[in-house]
Amino acid sequence: MLALLLLALVVVPTSAAGAAQDDRPVVRVGTEGTYPPFSFHESGSNDLTGYDIEVIKAVAEKAGWRLEFVETTFDAIFAALDADRIDVIANQVTDNPERAARYGLSDTYTYSRGVIVVKSGTKGITKLSDLDGKTTAQSLTTNYAELAREAGAKVEGVEGFAQAAALVVQGRVDALINDNLAALDYLNTTGSDDIEIAGTAGDEVSQQKLVFRKGDTELLQQANTALAALKADGTLAKISEKYFKIDVSVENTGEADLSGGRAPRSDAEIVKDAAWPMFKKLLIATIPITIISFAIGLALAIAAALANISGSRILSGIARAYISIIRGTPLLVQLFIVFYGLPEIGIDLPSWPAAILALSLNVGGYAAEIVRSAILSVPKGQFEAASTIGMGYWQSLRRIVFPQAARTAVPPLSNTLISLLKDTSLLSVVLVTELFREAQNAASAAQTFFPLYLTAGVYYWVVCALLAAGQGRIETRLNRFVAR
Amino acid sequence: MTDTSAPLVDVRGVEKAFGDNHVLRGIDFAADSGTTTVLLGPSGSGKTTILRSLNVLETPDSGLVRIGEVEVDFAGLPVKGRDAREQTSRLRAQSGMVFQSHNLFPHKTVLENVIEGPVQVQRRPVEEAVADARLLLDQVGLAEKADQHPFQLSGGQQQRVGIARALALKPKVVLFDEPTSALDPELVGEVLSVIKDLATEGWTTVIVTHEIRFAEQVADQVLFLDGGVVVERGTSAQVIGDPSEERTRQFLRRILDPG
Repeated sequence: MLALLLLALVVVPTSAAGAAQDDRPVVRVGTEGTYPPFSFHESGSNDLTGYDIEVIKAVAEKAGWRLEFVETTFDAIFAALDADRIDVIANQVTDNPERAARYGLSDTYTYSRGVIVVKSGTKGITKLSDLDGKTTAQSLTTNYAELAREAGAKVEGVEGFAQAAALVVQGRVDALINDNLAALDYLNTTGSDDIEIAGTAGDEVSQQKLVFRKGDTELLQQANTALAALKADGTLAKISEKYFKIDVSVENTGEADLSGGRAPRSDAEIVKDAAWPMFKKLLIATIPITIISFAIGLALAIAAALANISGSRILSGIARAYISIIRGTPLLVQLFIVFYGLPEIGIDLPSWPAAILALSLNVGGYAAEIVRSAILSVPKGQFEAASTIGMGYWQSLRRIVFPQAARTAVPPLSNTLISLLKDTSLLSVVLVTELFREAQNAASAAQTFFPLYLTAGVYYWVVCALLAAGQGRIETRLNRFVAR
Repeated sequence: MTDTSAPLVDVRGVEKAFGDNHVLRGIDFAADSGTTTVLLGPSGSGKTTILRSLNVLETPDSGLVRIGEVEVDFAGLPVKGRDAREQTSRLRAQSGMVFQSHNLFPHKTVLENVIEGPVQVQRRPVEEAVADARLLLDQVGLAEKADQHPFQLSGGQQQRVGIARALALKPKVVLFDEPTSALDPELVGEVLSVIKDLATEGWTTVIVTHEIRFAEQVADQVLFLDGGVVVERGTSAQVIGDPSEERTRQFLRRILDPG
């Protein structure tokens, strides 16, 4: 039954995708969706937009591709490309020798330079060499993180520009290095004067390119042909000018001006715009994933608990190894292994099934011990009474033991369920857009995340409070037949 | 049908050890249909183990147990597997068991406890099982408690439900494992009188008990066990009234005149 469920999960999305009548090749685009003005969600709408998004759409039109966007954090984006979950990265990836050696890089579609951003009024940081011994906040796998490390700075890992900027404002790090365009967008969108651009990060102009797998030469060629055509017919310049007032797709065209972009909004407006999209994600992703994973996890837990107390050394050995591995490793690692590791051995699960598989296995490992002790809490005489009236193993479990074990198991299982609900906030690493990811998207578009994360927190809390209330009712029900 | 003159219960050479502890060292006895057999003996004598072996709650290491037409030779029984399960479950179905600590299902009503076996195991129609169960509950004097849960009953009432539950399966033999030992003294009488009624109604029973006076009244046959063997056997008048073995006399003295 478990296998069938998983199978159904795997099959449904694929067949749905296959139903569309379109013979253009599907190209999956990996992008952050939280990196304005390049890749982000416009406030109040769910549509992915930005300079990189418009560029890749224009490329697709020329090359005859059908695009599928896959949003992920920058630090997972190359892993996604390696694991064949995406075909191209469109996310302002800067050319450097390591990347050129490992991946297929397209022609340049953005020329930019890195800038050092500090808290307003900071003295003594104006160039890269000033960062020696200082701390900066960066996405760990970016080119800028590399620059900061080479300059002798300690690098704190963050997810996206807004988070890095917040750390700078709070004085928790000394500086951040990022693209001047991203920095200008932040200043423009937030209207903030808490941080300022202190100087350039080196003199070199960096070049941003589309990234393909090394072997995908055909896609790379098509992309380069398309980029050349877009440059020639002025499309690229037009997209660039829409965002930056200048053409960043060619070198040295002057200072960018982003003042015509998104206007600053108040926290109330930001929360108001994001509240409904976040609620929708709670209903269509967070809650269903929690329920399905809990159901499968509970089945696994019962199987593992029964195996553990079966008296068979092989079965109980397997159960104990499973429980030990699950409880001994972080959920985040488990998610990465299921999503990015399993494809290496040919098991390539889409996001949702991968998320559900990892969460189910996790819940199963934790709940197995709860179920085991609950079964053992049922007096031996109950098993004997059941078998003496002729019941077999499964029948006595189902009719006699489980209903009584439930009483012991419900409080700790409720804890597991509540933890699971909150653990779904990790799922953006396997490219599931759930409640928290939606909050991240909104936060990056607004360049401020505190009010939005607070909103997400309230949503989680309300659902958990409802679960706790449900637990109370179930406990009352199960305690009916016990003398007090 | 088998020979009607053959005893209903036949136990031969049953042995059982838990590790180094040899609990049963070759037990033989037989019980005719409609008779009451009482097993007496100090704790650790093996009396409960032999009773549980009849219901295969313990699996003897060797020996032969027959109830009615079902016979299992435990020496030749494989340890595991479908065949072993089928044989033991057929033998188990021949007897009903009443436990010292009733072991009623706490999440089910009195009536549900009684019909659980008939409906879930024997697949009898619910209406029929309920009608039978109500008769049985009436017989043990608990007709009006049918819809209550075990925790709402006194210990004696709980034990009487346990008896009704065992009878509901219409077993050939009813086994009682110290049915009054866990009860407050004032509740013992009501349970013993129900068991006495069963004997007069023609049920075949095997009873492990410390109630010597009760045993004297109801037993057609008394077995005194000690150290895993049957030390003395006979009518209650013989074994209780005029025991020939010193060990039996010692035991009876201790039980009847404690202190």
